[in-house]
Amino acid sequence: MKGDSKARRLLSILVIVVVCVGIIGAVAYTHPFVGITEERINWNLTLIGEEEKVLPFDEIRAMPSYGGYGGFFTTVGMVNGPFKCKGVPIEELCTLVGGFNASNTLWVSAPDGYLMVFPYDQVRGNFVTYDPATLREVPHGDLKMILMYEQDGKLLSEDDGRPLRLAIVGSDKLLTEGHYWVKWVDKIEVRT
Amino acid sequence: MKARHVAALVIIAAVVMSVALYMPHEQEKTRLKVIYAGSLIVPFEEIEKQFESQHPGVDVQMEGHGSIQVIRQVTDIHKEGDVLAVADDSLILDMMYPDYSDWTVRFATNQMVIAYNNKSKYGDEINESNWYEILARPDVKFGFSNPMLDSCGYRTLMVTQLAELYYHNKTIFDDLIVYNFDPQISVTKNGNTYIVLVPEVFEPRAEKVVIRGGSVQLIALLDYGGVDYAFEYKSVAQQHGLMFLELPAQIDLSSPEYEDVYKKVIVRLGFQRFASVDTERVGMPIFYGITIPKNAPHPELAAEFVKFVLSKEGQRVLRDLKQPTIPPVTDNFDKIPDELRAVVIKDISRKEER
Repeated sequence: MKGDSKARRLLSILVIVVVCVGIIGAVAYTHPFVGITEERINWNLTLIGEEEKVLPFDEIRAMPSYGGYGGFFTTVGMVNGPFKCKGVPIEELCTLVGGFNASNTLWVSAPDGYLMVFPYDQVRGNFVTYDPATLREVPHGDLKMILMYEQDGKLLSEDDGRPLRLAIVGSDKLLTEGHYWVKWVDKIEVRT
Repeated sequence: MKARHVAALVIIAAVVMSVALYMPHEQEKTRLKVIYAGSLIVPFEEIEKQFESQHPGVDVQMEGHGSIQVIRQVTDIHKEGDVLAVADDSLILDMMYPDYSDWTVRFATNQMVIAYNNKSKYGDEINESNWYEILARPDVKFGFSNPMLDSCGYRTLMVTQLAELYYHNKTIFDDLIVYNFDPQISVTKNGNTYIVLVPEVFEPRAEKVVIRGGSVQLIALLDYGGVDYAFEYKSVAQQHGLMFLELPAQIDLSSPEYEDVYKKVIVRLGFQRFASVDTERVGMPIFYGITIPKNAPHPELAAEFVKFVLSKEGQRVLRDLKQPTIPPVTDNFDKIPDELRAVVIKDISRKEER
């Protein structure tokens, strides 16, 4: 009798262990970890305007940040986001090299050879925005163009443009066209 | 004793369960990555279904982009891809030869049309000889995709410039394009060639012309009356059930017969969006190209997939879904995979042709 009760207790413990292993395993399998948490990121952003400055990633992250929601869709209409985005406003970065005005254009590029040019009104947040569910154009509140380093509370993953990506964000959960969201940004130039 | 046996069984079950969770799945399907041009989305979704049903152990993973981005996924971003299909076969030659590929098969074509619907102003009047007058009317809005971002966009500029030559009317490009942008788009003439210069900032002056990144947005705009007309590929207009006006073959970029005419227009883009592609686009007939990168992870399976696309069955799928096909031809018969030789029926020399 005593032996049976010990065995039953052992059995109960094992059943609990099996269930726990199963749950942990299933969660790990279905939700693989993709974000990057804390680590030292060796990345420099070159800012060119009236003067030239090179900002290491840590310095960018130490600047006053701006948070908002934003997402994008691809050429074939695949919707990404909206995400909770955090980064530094592009206009703040421009201020470090002489500012940005209506006669300027902003040239944002990445080491993979991708480049986008933005006119003044876009840098000030004038974009067409889309409803994530229907992809129909919808009006929006204030938008801000930021250099994003955090998406949904985590540092960016490589596929999402780690460590710095251009993002268009606001208080509404809306989308903009994907080609604006330059990944792996390493150079921002103010041209006249 | 009995309880101990049960305990032993539970331990074995736990070990088996853990191993099953963490070991790679033997039954896991082979993932074949196909990266394709956005205008192929509708037929390629059907190709995917049919190929998978014939190959139960394969999971075809489709990824759509603009044609240049399709190639850049492999050449610049260094992602793995098994099959690449683009809406301009010359891009494969320009961007992939010789390091990433040394053959292309032309397998489909297209033509530029003006799409509209039953809400479009003057939709009951528009025809092949008055479309440019209707689009120029003050109360009509039309759209096209940004030439910096989309091949359909720079092809729209080619069509409108070619229209001046075809209709012997020197105001068409000015009326539809030049006067509607700030800064203005300019055209210079060099011998018999017209060079359209797109500025860095490509912004319409007023609401008459609407520019969007690609076809998806323009179709939505047509749907709810944001524009009356949009320049589109015929396949895209048909796949979305839109009405469309076919343009003369001399200007719609569909016919090899008029290749020398199309070449008279060059579009020079305002900035080099991709370091690996120059800024000049020469008017040419529209041909879709397909290839397998040299570093494809599954080259044999990729050849099977391409063979299916080029087969009578695959070509029928494309045509049924309104993607016009052509008999598959290659520029390098010696280099194509052996499996394709039965379906690629002709050899062409692209280099001589260009």
